[in-house]
Amino acid sequence: MQYCTHCKVKIKGEHNVCPLCAGILEGEGNPEEEVFPFIPTIYQEFNLFIRILILVSIVAVVASFAVNIIFTKESRWSLLVAAGVLCMWISLFFIIRKKNNVGKTILWQVGIISILSVIWDVSMGFIGWSIDYVIPSVCVLAMTVMAIGAKILKIGVRDLIVYLFIDAIFGFIPVVFIIFGWLNVIFPSVICVAASIISLSALVLFEGDNMKNELKKRMHI
Amino acid sequence: MTAKKPVEWSKLDNAAKIFPPTSNEKDTKVFRFVCELKDEIDPDILQEALDKTMPLFPFYKTVLRRGFFWYYFENADLVPRVSQEHKLPCSMLYHPGRRNLLFEVTYYKNRINLEVFHALTDGTGALAFLKTLLYFYITTRYRDDFKDSLPVLDYDASLTQKMDDSFLKHYTDNRIPKRVKITKAYRIQGRRFIDNRIKVIEGVMPVRDVLELAHKYDTTLTIYLTALFIKAIYEEMPARSRKYPVVLSVPVNLRTYFPSVTARNFFATINVKYDFGVSGDKLEDIINEVKESFKRELTQEKLLEHMNKLSALEHNAFMRMVPLAVKDAVLRFANRLNDKQITATLSNIGKISVSPRLEPYIKLFNCFTGAKRPQIALCSFRDNLVISFSSPFAGTDIQKNFFRFLTEENVPVTVSTNIKEI
Repeated sequence: MQYCTHCKVKIKGEHNVCPLCAGILEGEGNPEEEVFPFIPTIYQEFNLFIRILILVSIVAVVASFAVNIIFTKESRWSLLVAAGVLCMWISLFFIIRKKNNVGKTILWQVGIISILSVIWDVSMGFIGWSIDYVIPSVCVLAMTVMAIGAKILKIGVRDLIVYLFIDAIFGFIPVVFIIFGWLNVIFPSVICVAASIISLSALVLFEGDNMKNELKKRMHI
Repeated sequence: MTAKKPVEWSKLDNAAKIFPPTSNEKDTKVFRFVCELKDEIDPDILQEALDKTMPLFPFYKTVLRRGFFWYYFENADLVPRVSQEHKLPCSMLYHPGRRNLLFEVTYYKNRINLEVFHALTDGTGALAFLKTLLYFYITTRYRDDFKDSLPVLDYDASLTQKMDDSFLKHYTDNRIPKRVKITKAYRIQGRRFIDNRIKVIEGVMPVRDVLELAHKYDTTLTIYLTALFIKAIYEEMPARSRKYPVVLSVPVNLRTYFPSVTARNFFATINVKYDFGVSGDKLEDIINEVKESFKRELTQEKLLEHMNKLSALEHNAFMRMVPLAVKDAVLRFANRLNDKQITATLSNIGKISVSPRLEPYIKLFNCFTGAKRPQIALCSFRDNLVISFSSPFAGTDIQKNFFRFLTEENVPVTVSTNIKEI
């Protein structure tokens, strides 16, 4: 055991200086007495993959602006590249943030992709592709992935049914598009609504109690 | 499709509600109990003991999840595993979105460590768990010594009593609290470690010597050490900060004031204030002031009032209807305001006792907490008093002052620490 003459304390373990006053110690240290293990400092850094991805995005945006200015001054296509990269990062941000919860991630992606596609469509003169194709197909895709995930992969069945339920409700939105006649192509929306009705029925019939309990738990006030 | 048993879940108790939104890497809201035995720990027997302890504390087998309005505990099929200590003391146990148990049992040489996220339980609750674990560990490890008869486990509570939300039981009033004035307290500044590790310095000393010192000043051990801590902080205070009072936050175990044996949270905190701008800096003055504050605050009425204030907020219809994301923001803000009014924290676990037949195998108990500001935790076992400082700052001046006060009065102190560089 070491001893500090200034603090008048005995010190367990092996030290170079007194842990209290940083003064010189008397006696021999004994590492056997140590009561805490040594734990090295781990510096937290961004994932290498993310850093590469950020650099690639910057290169793509800068290069497209440069090429745009030099060769095709009259067009503004490089803005589209920048917007595309931005959308990818918005989507990726939410994937990383919610990465611990598969159902939530999928549901957030449905919402984000739907909103971003409408913004794209509107800002390019509203051709209608976002509500014709994108919204119905992401809904159906998410439903399929979650149903497969829940039943076959058995990943967090109870979690997924809640998100599947919300997605199936979301899948009814194209009904509005059909009623107001905003659509040029009708079949994706019809498929989406049909799939929603089937999913909801299956959920209520087979997982009704589970879902009720799950909702009661999550929504308790 | 098979019929499944619905998953059981439970609400957080009143005191627990603040912890999930305000825990982060800098302030993990995790505390640790340590029990040092006389022999090296056998991991297999420790695991066996843990497996036997779990059924007695079913509440510990839960994960914390976010609902739409509140957090809740969900029973989980996770089996806790003991492991050799390999993480920083009191590092994060609750990670939003991740499903893991809210406590951990580790060992290192002769020590068993129990780390608990504060939302799960408070010091007294965790100690009941640790004592049960020790009971199974010691009676298995030294089974030959207990061949004739087993000692009695001194924690007597039914499962419902352990699961009891005692705040709910004892709260009486539903008045909305009046606005409270915020008085800024002196706040200790310092350089932090890069990975937010806390510096733990534990001092072991004979309890009798410190008691004698306290009696010399005609007071109790807790009051004496509280005053000493205030004095140690004062010595490092820059002169221009003396206009701010030193405020110690002291958690109080409500089980001693209200009948309850719950293994969940049941505590309140009181603030002990000392203003060096107004009062003198002599130890006697501080002791008198601390004594007064303790007498004033530690009454059943005062504590009930405190409890009602917090419970009223929880039961307020408007607060209940607000989505969790908003609640989180509000609670984080309230926590920041509260932090402004506190200089440091002192937790007194008090005298720890175990069944007399287990005592010979145990050397000491110790306890410390993850810290956003310097914290002291005291506990005593048999002849040993252990005072643990945990601090997020690299500097050790307050710790030095504190222990030097004691050694100058000829109390023999043995110190150990987890970080060697200053």
